[in-house]
Amino acid sequence: MKPPLRVWPGWGGAVAATDSQKSALKALTLAALALPGLMSAGNAAAEEDEVAFQFSHYQEGRRNLAGVESNLKPIEVESLYGFGRVSLTDRIKFIFNYTQDTWSGATPITTAPVVANSNRPIVASRDGETVIAGASPFISSRVFLDRDFNLLSQDPSTGRAAGVDPAAVHVMSMASPEIRRQGDINLGYEWDESAVNWGFGGSVEDDYFSWFSSLNGRLDFNQKLTSLNMGFSYTGSDIQANFDHDAATYIDKVAFQHQISRTLSKETIRGGRSDASWNLGLTQIITKSALATASLGYTHSQGYLENPYKAMTIIFADPDPLVINPSNPDGLVGDVRAFLEQRPDHRNQWQVGAGYVQHIGLLDAALHANYQFFQDDWDIHAHTFRLEWIQPVATTWTVTPRFRYYSQSAADFYKPFLLSKQAHNRLDFDPDSGEISITPFDRDKLPDNFSSDHRLSAYGALSGGIVVNKRIAKGLALEAGFEYYTHQGSLRLDGEGENSFADFDFFVANANLKVNLSTLGRALADGGQAHAHHHHHGAPAPAGVMFSHLIPAGQTMVGYRYMWSRQAGDMLRGTAYASDADIVRNGCTAGFTGRCRVNPIEMNMGMHMLDLMYAPYDWLNLMLMPQFMDMDMNVRMLDGVRYNAMKDHLHIHETGGVGDLGMYALFRLFSSANHNANLSLGVTAPTGSVDETLRRIHRIDKGLIHYGMQLGSGTWDFKPSLTYTGVDGTWSWGAQMNGTVRMESSNESGYALGNAFQSSAWGGYNVLSWLTASLRWAFTYQGQIQGQFYPTPGVADGRLVDNVNMGSRANPSVGAMDFPGSYGGRYWDVGFGLSAVVPNGSFQGHRFGVEWLQPVMDDVNGYQQARVGALSATWGLMF
Amino acid sequence: MQIVKYGVLSGLVLAAAACTPVAPWQRGVLAKPHMALNPNPIDAVMRNHNYSSREAAPAGMAGMGGGCGCY
Repeated sequence: MKPPLRVWPGWGGAVAATDSQKSALKALTLAALALPGLMSAGNAAAEEDEVAFQFSHYQEGRRNLAGVESNLKPIEVESLYGFGRVSLTDRIKFIFNYTQDTWSGATPITTAPVVANSNRPIVASRDGETVIAGASPFISSRVFLDRDFNLLSQDPSTGRAAGVDPAAVHVMSMASPEIRRQGDINLGYEWDESAVNWGFGGSVEDDYFSWFSSLNGRLDFNQKLTSLNMGFSYTGSDIQANFDHDAATYIDKVAFQHQISRTLSKETIRGGRSDASWNLGLTQIITKSALATASLGYTHSQGYLENPYKAMTIIFADPDPLVINPSNPDGLVGDVRAFLEQRPDHRNQWQVGAGYVQHIGLLDAALHANYQFFQDDWDIHAHTFRLEWIQPVATTWTVTPRFRYYSQSAADFYKPFLLSKQAHNRLDFDPDSGEISITPFDRDKLPDNFSSDHRLSAYGALSGGIVVNKRIAKGLALEAGFEYYTHQGSLRLDGEGENSFADFDFFVANANLKVNLSTLGRALADGGQAHAHHHHHGAPAPAGVMFSHLIPAGQTMVGYRYMWSRQAGDMLRGTAYASDADIVRNGCTAGFTGRCRVNPIEMNMGMHMLDLMYAPYDWLNLMLMPQFMDMDMNVRMLDGVRYNAMKDHLHIHETGGVGDLGMYALFRLFSSANHNANLSLGVTAPTGSVDETLRRIHRIDKGLIHYGMQLGSGTWDFKPSLTYTGVDGTWSWGAQMNGTVRMESSNESGYALGNAFQSSAWGGYNVLSWLTASLRWAFTYQGQIQGQFYPTPGVADGRLVDNVNMGSRANPSVGAMDFPGSYGGRYWDVGFGLSAVVPNGSFQGHRFGVEWLQPVMDDVNGYQQARVGALSATWGLMF
Repeated sequence: MQIVKYGVLSGLVLAAAACTPVAPWQRGVLAKPHMALNPNPIDAVMRNHNYSSREAAPAGMAGMGGGCGCY
């Protein structure tokens, strides 16, 4: 069953109508009105079946740290987004979304007075010269104040109090890469004049778990000139955050004492929150070229609404001190302390919005204007203005410049930092008894709620960007966007925002590929007979085998491939079990101490790949394969090694982002009814980074993360493969040899992964006419890593040292996985697979495959963890 | 309250505008993809996530989604 014919199917929208098209359009429009859910005001442009893949990169600029030079990298986020919308029947729609973000970089942990010198530069002397090796957050210190509690600067030469200096600065703290994954599914049902939609999903991070559900309804009336939308959504979240090692000891956490637990290696805060939202929207067709919307929303949030990584700086100044500081004889001394931020446990939020969409006939452009007003009971008022001009150009292009302005007032409990007119610990001397007593500060004198998160301050934000969309083939569109955003206190509507210390900016660049399944479905239906024989041109190879088939001349294939592999359980040396004692003694002999301290508990690797294939000729196919990686590893102390909080880092390590880019040419060597052979020659470009690092812990930089968790090979690699496939009736078989040859002897980090070779052979049987079960045998050889990480200079205990990589003198906490000799080996696997070419229905012509590769034997170089297995899942569509 | 003021205002604008009847066969232009209420839904997801993790007011009305955005 094909999706129903839609009005104006020209996807990409860059089609100008002629007169004859207009009359045809009128007839089509009439016909379309009889179809369910079409042309209502709330759904004016028909939503067609579509899959989309998007990559985006978010990059923040450096923050102003009041003159302190910091080598901390600003925040960057790499995101992958996949989307699919499929009509299961004429009336039932299925939608899924998947997002994966990996972020890393430095973020403000608190705000402090500049005079507290909290981003203390680490100054090191090397070869007689002084080097500033970045800033390190210190959030406990002393400041001078005058009798009116004004902050005073200090004369750097004498150390004596000088003039008033009230300025503030962010105190930055670095984070190792972290991954967030979010997925949701939606089911929608459409009646002629109404629709309902139910959605459910979850978001998973190491420290934050959310699940959410929503129910939305749409009602059309007034001859579908008016649509009413109603929606409800609920989000429940569990927070389980480990405190920053360096900051935790300085931060006062008493207010959350009952939520905090401690183990030997970490301190964790737990909390829960819920967010319930109601929305009401109205869409009205105003003229034949304009429509307007109005919306109303309410959200109630409750629970732990804090950000567990944000602290408030409080300066305690005793107005009646016992002792006078000789450097500030006329004034006071302030004790600078940091407290976990305290937000109210409830938040009520309201939103009102209006939008207007106008078609500009002369240019066939669309102008979108939106305004939204937001208010909550934290005293935040916000205005958002958006303007978008969508301009179709030359039939296949669409260019969209856009502009956005946002302005908000501050939360009533926001302050860059607080002043408390009492001593943090007051010393009193009793002349009668001669005893000194200590009185701690009175918590009741602090406000109930406080936060220095600059997202709750008063500011304005201007952003602008452009989106360019190009229809590259029937049903296939490529889109690229860029946006620049600047957050400034002075940009607030009335100009009265936070001072410039809180200003920051970022840019986002994104690219996406959209595949319109409805258009392709129609194309396939039109030319269905012509292609039919190709669908059965040989049985599909197992999902884990790439480059097994060519597509016919003029055809395009879009595919997606996911591979996941896991190592866990026993450690191996060669083919045998390796004990902890063996690893400790022999696994890290190349390290500074010659001994291993830690060992992996598990390591997982995921790869998302996009397969884009085009056939200029029957004998030649070209293929582009971008990759997106994510990896995580959890480590433990080896038996017999004592945990050292200052040295050992036992968190889950995560990395992720763009991997290497594959480019291939496939050549048909031989083809008959039953036998096919092809050769593929390709290279991968080193687009994946090989300089992923771990953050500084306990004032010691941790250098480059394990070889196996870098995102690419770092070298240009040559990847040939030779494949033979055969088919006879319901049986099919095949064999492949493929290799990876590193074309450079070392990458920018100083090493090259080993060359690899794989041979595999498989047999398949068509369980059903469209479903093939396969069994595969595979042997893989991988060489050990050549070379090693270049030494990474870094900071250790305030000194600049030549190398902070794992295994160095400064960073001796190391495992076998940090040495090149413990990579590569010989591996034998058996694969169990299922492949399908869907014969009919909404997914007609779609290819799905899944294969589980079960390890049979490992013969590893050095010490490695046993493999649990690898999963491959593929989807593809040829058109 | 300010919220009521803005609500009434946008309601009035809409009511004033909603008077020209548009016959079904006159809605071809409205069905063009660039006239959709959310014309770039794929990159809107990402942009709204960025705004929401950087601003106090959530971007987009249908607030489905989770995660900390702690950075």
